[in-house]
Amino acid sequence: MPAIEVTSLSKTFRTKRKAAGLGASLRSLVRPEFRTIEAVRGLSFEMEPGELLGFIGPNGAGKSTTIKILTGILFPSGGEAKVLGYVPWKQRRQLAYHIGTVFGQRPQLWYHLPAIDTLTLFGKIYELDDRQTKRRIAELAEAFEIEDLLETPVRKLSLGQRMRCEVAASLLHKPKLLLLDEPSIGLDVVAKQHIRDAIRTMAAQENVGVLLTSHDAGDLEALCKRVIIINHGQIVYQDKVSALKRSFLTSKLVEVRYAQQVGADFRIAGTETLKVAKERYGVKLRFDARITPVGKVMAALSAAGTLVDITISDPPLEEVIAAIYQKAENRE
Amino acid sequence: MKKYFAVFNINLVNSLAYPAELVTRSLMILLFMWIFYQLWRVTFAASGSDVLNGLTLRDTMWYLLLAETLELGRPRLARVISQQVKDGSIAYLLNKPYDFLLYQLSSGLGESLPRMGMLFLLGGALTWVMAGPPPDLVNWPVALVALVGAWLLHFCFNALIGLAAFVSEEVAPYEWIYQKFTFVLGGMLIPLDFYPAWLQTVSKSLPFAYMMYGPARLFVQPDPALFAQIILGQFVWLSVLGGLLLLAYSRGLRRLAINGG
Repeated sequence: MPAIEVTSLSKTFRTKRKAAGLGASLRSLVRPEFRTIEAVRGLSFEMEPGELLGFIGPNGAGKSTTIKILTGILFPSGGEAKVLGYVPWKQRRQLAYHIGTVFGQRPQLWYHLPAIDTLTLFGKIYELDDRQTKRRIAELAEAFEIEDLLETPVRKLSLGQRMRCEVAASLLHKPKLLLLDEPSIGLDVVAKQHIRDAIRTMAAQENVGVLLTSHDAGDLEALCKRVIIINHGQIVYQDKVSALKRSFLTSKLVEVRYAQQVGADFRIAGTETLKVAKERYGVKLRFDARITPVGKVMAALSAAGTLVDITISDPPLEEVIAAIYQKAENRE
Repeated sequence: MKKYFAVFNINLVNSLAYPAELVTRSLMILLFMWIFYQLWRVTFAASGSDVLNGLTLRDTMWYLLLAETLELGRPRLARVISQQVKDGSIAYLLNKPYDFLLYQLSSGLGESLPRMGMLFLLGGALTWVMAGPPPDLVNWPVALVALVGAWLLHFCFNALIGLAAFVSEEVAPYEWIYQKFTFVLGGMLIPLDFYPAWLQTVSKSLPFAYMMYGPARLFVQPDPALFAQIILGQFVWLSVLGGLLLLAYSRGLRRLAINGG
């Protein structure tokens, strides 16, 4: 049985619409106007038990709405879905025992209390006995390296520390499926890496399926085997992450800063110079890693002057999605 | 039930996380009780009688203290649920294996109890100094029973208004109306005994009298007939509002839209 089975799922929201100004406000009182937003449009996909599936797309693509339908919080407008054999919006409480959720933009830990209080509360809510709860907290504290943070009020934790506690809390009851909605949002590079490592380790150890939404391609690369890209509530691409990388995440962006000025016509073989900064210390380049190896570019950049700083990054996911659209259109 | 006790407990601990804030916020009752005392002292003096509509000045003050304690200490659930819908944190509350309404009840109780305790303690001390000692100890358990019913009625009203946030954008106007009804028809500003007979009849046929007047009046004069009337009224209104609450919850859930995707 698949862990998640979704068929033709759709969700529409009706929201009030009002032009600016007092006149429009008064008109809207008498004759309110509504518009319908189709957040999810005929979505169909499956996810196997223990699978690490990335669900990505830009803001407003329908990722969070889909996750909320799959956890039973929102009722869909149409279609069907089963999560671990349960229809989420009809069997929300039974399903809750088997899934863990993290909504990256919302805290579930009690803000003024230490995380240990929330974890203990969750132990009771998920009906674990006190000994089980204690043992599980110790396991999670070690995996997420939060032993020293558990007794500090949550308000005093950094965002990265808090997120590690949040994810640990969502795993307390040993769920079979973890639904992570933007778990790395707002985190710095180190904190992101930290949290990704812990999730990957726990998922492998306990065979937990992970459905992860993100608009950060790094989350996807680090955690997921398969990816579904959605935009405007529809699937625009689904395949293995390795295939996506091969096809689309091949270009790299490099930003370098030199100790001395470079020429206005700065060039490195096999790369495209996007910008030379006005004061001519910084340069931005792009290259295709399939054609020009990363090592070769690094060596050439280093040979061109004394490097002060260097950043290498993937293109923004929005660009990848644009490339996917482009490819689909070309095929047509 | 263990999980609901744990929810109650964590709310209690959370309310006590800042004891100074708890005390400072409760100081408000001192001002209210002082104003009430000045008003009612003049009223009793002007009437030339020690007893008005069966209540002495001391009775009136202790009545008002209990009513104020309930009003200032009741759970602010309508605002809480509405905020949870607005900021999206409702998502975490709905995907846990508990009954959402029982969760809110336990949570509201944990938040409300320390506040009510502190209000009663501070307000009671001032009332004692101004108007005289509290009612006989035998009155207390009678009032406490009615207080539980009154608190539950407040919970139902608040939760109903809070659930309106599942479909409406703003619930503050509904809360405002509910509060003013409890002030006037619930007998929070003036004991219902001071109203003309027809208004007393109207008030007592509505739920608000059982949410304020009932426990406050029993606290100062625990008449058995009144006790029976209050408890019966609370039972009837709890059945009606409880039923409505369950219905509103199951309907509201279908229409819930969570902000922020």
